Amino acid sequence: MSSYYSRYGRPALKNSVDMQLQTAFSDGNWNTVARLADKRAKALKDPYYEAIKITAESQLDGAAEKCAAVLIAIDDLVRQKAVPDLDTLELYEWASHDFLSQDLNYAEALGPLRARWVKANPKSPLAQQCLQTCLEHWDLVSAQQIAATLDKANVNSNDRRYMFWGITLTYLLSVSHQCTEASRRVYSLLVLKQLERAADLTENPSATESTDRRLATEEEICLYYRVLLAYGTKADFLSRIQSSQLGAIAELKKGHKLLLWESLTALESWGEWDLVFTLCRDALNLGIEGLTPPFLVCDLLVWGRFSVAASKAKDPEAAFGEVQAILNKFISLTASASEMYKKNISVALLETTFRTPTLLLSPNPGHKGLTPRVIQIGLFLDKYFDKLSAFDDVKCYVAQLSFEEARAFMEDIFPKILDEQPDELKKVILKTLECRLRYLLTTCPQTLSHHRSVVDGQEQEKPYRCRFCSQLADLPCEHCLRKSVVTATATYKQISADSALAEAIPRLDKDPRIDLALVMGLSLLKLAGLRAKDNTGPARQSLRDIQLDLWLQALLLLDTQLKLTPSDVGLRLLLVQLYLQAGCASYAYQLWKPMDVKRTIQDALSPLFFDRISSLSPGLFQGGRPLMEPLRSYYASSLRDKCPMRVWDAFSSGSYTSIIDMSIYDSKLRKSCTLVMTLVEERRAMRSFAWKAESDIDDQSLAEGITDETVLVNKTDYGSFPNLESLHGPPIQDFLILGPGLSNERLQLGFLSEQYHDVLAFKPPKDYKPAKPNDVAIRDRSYIAERVADLSNSLTDFLHRTANLSLLTSAELVYYTVVSLLSASVVTSLSIPRADPAPPKTLSMTTSSVRTALAGLRSELTSPRVNPTTSQTCKALTNMHNVAYVRETAVAVKHTAAFVLAFHDKEMARDRRGKSALHKDVVAEMKALEAVATKTLAETKAHVQKLKEQLGEAGWLDRMLEWAYSDESSSSSSSSSSSQDDEALQAVKSVVSDSAHAEEWGGKLLESWREGVKGWGMVRME
Amino acid sequence: MANFRRFQPDDLNKLSKCNLDPLTETYELGFYLQYYAKWPSLFQVAEDQHGNIIGYIMGKLESSPDVYRFSEHYLPWHAHITAVTVAPEARRLGIGKLLTEQIETAADANSAWFVDLFVRSTNYKAIAFYKSMGYSVFRVVKDYYGDHSSDPSQSSEDAYDMRKPMERDVKKEHIRADGDKYEVDPSDVW
Repeated sequence: MSSYYSRYGRPALKNSVDMQLQTAFSDGNWNTVARLADKRAKALKDPYYEAIKITAESQLDGAAEKCAAVLIAIDDLVRQKAVPDLDTLELYEWASHDFLSQDLNYAEALGPLRARWVKANPKSPLAQQCLQTCLEHWDLVSAQQIAATLDKANVNSNDRRYMFWGITLTYLLSVSHQCTEASRRVYSLLVLKQLERAADLTENPSATESTDRRLATEEEICLYYRVLLAYGTKADFLSRIQSSQLGAIAELKKGHKLLLWESLTALESWGEWDLVFTLCRDALNLGIEGLTPPFLVCDLLVWGRFSVAASKAKDPEAAFGEVQAILNKFISLTASASEMYKKNISVALLETTFRTPTLLLSPNPGHKGLTPRVIQIGLFLDKYFDKLSAFDDVKCYVAQLSFEEARAFMEDIFPKILDEQPDELKKVILKTLECRLRYLLTTCPQTLSHHRSVVDGQEQEKPYRCRFCSQLADLPCEHCLRKSVVTATATYKQISADSALAEAIPRLDKDPRIDLALVMGLSLLKLAGLRAKDNTGPARQSLRDIQLDLWLQALLLLDTQLKLTPSDVGLRLLLVQLYLQAGCASYAYQLWKPMDVKRTIQDALSPLFFDRISSLSPGLFQGGRPLMEPLRSYYASSLRDKCPMRVWDAFSSGSYTSIIDMSIYDSKLRKSCTLVMTLVEERRAMRSFAWKAESDIDDQSLAEGITDETVLVNKTDYGSFPNLESLHGPPIQDFLILGPGLSNERLQLGFLSEQYHDVLAFKPPKDYKPAKPNDVAIRDRSYIAERVADLSNSLTDFLHRTANLSLLTSAELVYYTVVSLLSASVVTSLSIPRADPAPPKTLSMTTSSVRTALAGLRSELTSPRVNPTTSQTCKALTNMHNVAYVRETAVAVKHTAAFVLAFHDKEMARDRRGKSALHKDVVAEMKALEAVATKTLAETKAHVQKLKEQLGEAGWLDRMLEWAYSDESSSSSSSSSSSQDDEALQAVKSVVSDSAHAEEWGGKLLESWREGVKGWGMVRME
Repeated sequence: MANFRRFQPDDLNKLSKCNLDPLTETYELGFYLQYYAKWPSLFQVAEDQHGNIIGYIMGKLESSPDVYRFSEHYLPWHAHITAVTVAPEARRLGIGKLLTEQIETAADANSAWFVDLFVRSTNYKAIAFYKSMGYSVFRVVKDYYGDHSSDPSQSSEDAYDMRKPMERDVKKEHIRADGDKYEVDPSDVW
């Protein structure tokens, strides 16, 4: 090969090629190149010139058949079994680049040719480039063969890379789908044996070994353990991990932590707690003894596992004695440690206290609740209450306290810390922390005791009694929530009213008012009835049973706080979710955009705004830059090549574990739920506006490789949500997001449904005139039946998988069920012979189910026609997700009926005898479906129009504000607690004292609703 | 409480605490993976108890291309800190310092002459932080940044190229006491 060329650049010709041809080739003057190459081929009898000619001809315009010549030439080379000329290969590879995947499988043609060339030229410096090229096409079979050849050829050299390239590629191949089951066994054994031998050589160097084939670097050793975990025995792993040369402690002495981390994970999964204990102890002791930097392994993970292992020891007392002794030594070292490690040690102390069996802790006979666990939390907070992470640090421990302990903590310990704090600002921080902890405790079931759930035969609404306030309660205790609102408000107002405090706040890491507002806001939301999604069955839309006025008050409160502290990400994320639920998607988008979610973080964070967006606000897809373009462009650039990005860099740097991890990451990204969400949401919006799609959804390059068997991966990152909930209940996102999060089943159903719509929408090109129309018609019918039957089976399968799981909203469940039924009805319609005197009842049963489902969905169109109340209109505006699925379902029904009827008409036109047309019962059923779908769409259109009129009425904003913000509103629901309701409402009002902001906020809400409804007005209802 | 460990690609799905902060830049996937591929031990993270990334540092080991060997701007074998960030909630705990020290340890283990980094000349907080860790200004790269962090009327901003000598530089040959007087163009920086 004359010189290496960039991936898509033009290859250079051999130096022996004359200047005239060289110039024409580099200028891309393909006619001249073809003519000159043809002349040279005839004169010199050199097949290389024939290859140049074929390559040049493949570049000419409109030369489809000439391109085929390249494929034929490659095929000839494969079949000849001779060693190909590498320069010829380069030419063909470049010329065939555009056909790769479609017409040419690299791993079956060019890859093996390169492997064949390397086998004949193993010492050539170009052999490595062949390996790189095969890797770029992710042809692991050829790459592994090349690497094995290189290793063999360089076995006497001191270049260790070839050995490890071969091993890494053998491993990658063994775990990839490119490997057959039979080969997998061979390769797994091979890679294990190679590394076992290397490991043995490391521990027992052989005098006869001429070259270095040991494990030397951290990467090589960790590669060995990865393979051992995959293919070796547990006994071998346990033995080797304790080895004085290759063990985790030996690696740690070299400053390498990776193996310790990976081995602890493996040991924990096996329940090998004795070894976990030994490793953690020895690792920590290295720091004490000065054999490593003192705090090298002073991590949460190590301390946590050390404590768990101690709790599982045969003699816990002795084990915890050892833990405590090591902990004490670290405590004596903390004077010189960084703040982070000081805090880590303090948390380790807490962790150890909570893991230690109660019997081993000294009880406090005088005070049942004042246990060592409570005292430890107090000591921790005494030191670290002013750190931003203080709440998160103690949260899980406070939630573990018994009620007696919790009461002692909140009523004895915490007030003491507060009282002893002379600094007013710090007092405020402590009070804020207290409010958050009180809220946390409302999410802990041990704070409630069972009350009689049935009294006089009547099931009681509140089956518990709160042990803090003694009130009857459900989880959470409403009385305590109201108290939280009032207490948090008092502290909030104290800060705002004290100029000294207000001035000091900018010097803090975070304005305490944000946390206070969150306590108030979340308490109000729960008082309004906001609950987490149930884990079984379809999720109901969360605002249906909610006290919307209270809910809007929480929204106003939190929005007011965001205006004061716009840079708080947690608050902003929370509001985005709440506004999406409120049906104010355009306003939610305004809050979303400043967070600048772009590039790499989109896969994990974009679902927080974009999931279900086409059902909430299709209008957002109108205008300027396509809404999903940043996501689409991220995936297009990150998944452009078949190989994991930058994988060759890892090979050339000897980063073997990076190669494995990058390969896993790449594989997950190609199966990302967010990626499929992008495709599905975009496609739904396009259908809503009848925009033309360039290709079917499953033909898009981003959908390559996604089949029913693919398990889509959800990586949504909820880490920045302000989570005050305890681990006893669902995390905060389960309260906030509209419907269940992304899942393989939901996205697969969405993807399949869009494929079904693609089938319905298919129309052959107008100029398509087949030579044998009857034959083509028979084939088409058979293809449609087969394709739709496949989709129907897949839809049914995924629907069954969602049964009893909370993976869909109820509207989504109905929609996907209807699409599944419709696809089955298409198959049945095409299969019933027209002359059948007694067609099976299947079709009428299916269409009857469709009609029933549609009738049920139509009840979602609940906008009152005459004099609606503000509350009714607001509820309707927060219900657009369900309305969207009424429309989607009706559209699917209508298009299915139209498709079947059009098929019938076409057959009638083609075959005048009508033999191939559809059965009259089919035609009748489809016409009935079409009618009901048309009616539903008309009702949906009227519903949207009505909402538009209601929002356009004069004074609507004032009425909405008055309703949401009046003194009467919140107390209407529960007379027994009305005074407390009033108190809570007054407290909130006192925080949101600026009525101008309330009006401004209401205006934004109204504007966003109007924009949303306007977008719905543009959606095609036919 | 935090763990300090080597970066792994799945961490890219847990960056929100760091990268939703406007002061932290989000790069293309290939940029992160390049560092993980070439210098995995110089890409370190701090994670909280829930696995969220609350700080990370990306570094590399390199020297200037050989073609510049005789240039006055040639950089010998050294470690470079490309990015370091700590989530707002995890600041003032010394996490940035610990992460930087990890790069320095790796630099010494790989016989680097020094560790260097670029910082905006108006980022006084960061400059003070690095100075407290033993870094000093080696040169000023004029108009290195194509925007200005605090003055929208300006279209560029200078960078300080700051350095800390490593064990190999016994004679302290690779640092300057008056580096802020040495100005270079962006074209002199490779």
